[in-house]
Amino acid sequence: MLKINNLSAKIDNKSILQDFKLEINPGEVHAIMGPNGSGKSTLSNILSGKKGYDVTGEVLFENSDLFSLETEERAHKGIFLAFQYPLEIPGVNTNVFLKTSLNAIKKARGEKELDAIQFLKLVKEKAKELKFDEEKLGRQLNVGFSGGEKKKNEILQMSILNPKLSILDETDSGLDIDALKTVADGVNALRKKNNSFLIITHYQRLLEYIKPDFVHVLMNGKIIKSGGPDLALELEKKGYENIN
Amino acid sequence: MEEQLKIDFEKKLKDFSYSDQEKKFKETNFKEFLKQGFPNRKLESWKFSDLNQIIKSNIGELTFYNDYKKENQIDKIQLISDLEHNKLIVIDGKIEKIDFKFEEKDKIEVLVEQGEETIKENINSLINLNNAFSNKFCKIIIKKNYSLKKPLVIYHSTNKNTQSKNTNSRIDFKLEENACLRLIDIFKDNTEKNFLNIYYNFELDKSSILKNYKIDKSINNNVKYSYNNVKQEANSISETFILSSGSKFFKNEINCNLQGQHSSAFVNGIFDLDDENHHEIKSNINHLVENTKSYQLVKSVLEKKSKAVYQGKIFVSSEAQKTDGYQLSNAILLSENSEFNAKPELEIYADDVKCSHGSSSGSLDENSIFYLMSRGLNYKEAKKLLINGFLLDVIEKITDEEIKNLIKNLLGVKE
Repeated sequence: MLKINNLSAKIDNKSILQDFKLEINPGEVHAIMGPNGSGKSTLSNILSGKKGYDVTGEVLFENSDLFSLETEERAHKGIFLAFQYPLEIPGVNTNVFLKTSLNAIKKARGEKELDAIQFLKLVKEKAKELKFDEEKLGRQLNVGFSGGEKKKNEILQMSILNPKLSILDETDSGLDIDALKTVADGVNALRKKNNSFLIITHYQRLLEYIKPDFVHVLMNGKIIKSGGPDLALELEKKGYENIN
Repeated sequence: MEEQLKIDFEKKLKDFSYSDQEKKFKETNFKEFLKQGFPNRKLESWKFSDLNQIIKSNIGELTFYNDYKKENQIDKIQLISDLEHNKLIVIDGKIEKIDFKFEEKDKIEVLVEQGEETIKENINSLINLNNAFSNKFCKIIIKKNYSLKKPLVIYHSTNKNTQSKNTNSRIDFKLEENACLRLIDIFKDNTEKNFLNIYYNFELDKSSILKNYKIDKSINNNVKYSYNNVKQEANSISETFILSSGSKFFKNEINCNLQGQHSSAFVNGIFDLDDENHHEIKSNINHLVENTKSYQLVKSVLEKKSKAVYQGKIFVSSEAQKTDGYQLSNAILLSENSEFNAKPELEIYADDVKCSHGSSSGSLDENSIFYLMSRGLNYKEAKKLLINGFLLDVIEKITDEEIKNLIKNLLGVKE
């Protein structure tokens, strides 16, 4: 599904990722763990099309060149990024935003757009599953939401858009244990044969609830070690300094 | 220009048989305008908008005479269809039609007046020009306790041959105690390169409510100036909302005297500008007695080489204790060449008051754009959604639901 070959990224001539390689197959869950500044967020930004990076190398998503696609085209193809810091968008109603987004993707795929009633039914159902306060859907997007609510809102968007590849950028940070479980339930509900996940995190905590197939350690822009779920436990014990 | 003015003014005086008093009034105003000319940047309140220069570069030589004896065609004007309304049609500055068909006839009185200056302070040369050249103006009186059932829409338009002309119109309004008027100004710009000079006087008696919505949306090459002079008695409310967008140049000036206790004034506006359009809102809110309130919010979205100016003044006299005055302006600059100028002024002589002001300008937040695009919206859609969101809180200030929806539709704001 996703193939990253020799990806290097610089910002203002500062090297962030170097010869980064990763392959994710349909249905797999990969976790990338790494200390601050190791390039985790850069990776997720580049995959979802944020501008401002000098990149070389190749990224293929279902065999098409990701770099030739605009941010929204990547979303249409099924890439979703759950933001580390979801943005507050004043004046934009959450429901309106969700509907606009879902229908933009459906339209690009040549699928039938949802009308207001169909959409409300879907969003209500998903909000209930995620224990997301329905009243918040009528409010301005993320404005006045707590850190946990913002993260839950990201997962709500994910479950409504039903992407093929979901990238979760430190979705666990700032979540209390109950919220963490709800978020993990949301992710697990989406785990299917064809849906893949790339989970970026500092800590092993989230991985207790979302069991990854592979764990990779990212340091100084490179994957220095890959393994199974046990690697996360090892990291937790030894710390990043002593792993290699 | 002076030659042209004199010729046109002579013609004007010959048109009707004015009484000595009327003639004197027009002549005095004419002389004053001759002396001062169009406002230029040397005047503090015109420093961001040099009207003299703007007229020269956008229109060239103006003529000032309009033949008010002939009937103008009004059937060509397209009226708003999705809102039931009373109407008043002004063509080339002349009131061509007044129709209060939705109202009780004895609750509204329309007087034709000939000339009497009601404002003494803050007068500028454009008011002199207006008084010298405008037709007989009318005074509309809304009787005690009467609320108009439907809004009054004033259509401002021109004849098809009108070009490079100055047109002047003046209407006075009196809202008696506890009366209520919703007034919408709409511009039907059929012709180009004219200078429209509009002057309204409002007297708001006790507990009356005035809502004035000025909508300048369709793209045109005209230059406009509109002056609202509002006098407010106790417990009266004035709400002004300006959607400033389509004209080449438009300056809206609001002068508001809060002279009765617990009276309040709201001035809100949107600058939605493109190309080289240059618009201004200038307000003078004068708090003259205790316990009065004013609120102003202006938001700007500026494309290309457009320029917006907001000069908001709050004046608090020494008697006006417990004044509550607030003003805020925010601008989004969508191009390196667009410009936003804000000059908040607070002049306060009382010591127990609450007054504040703020202003900000910046570009559209790229991170927010990225966030929305990562959810499948293209750049244009993301930008539109963010701008609508930015404008929403000022649109929400419109207290009339029907008109709020009309303006939302005009701006393409969805909910």
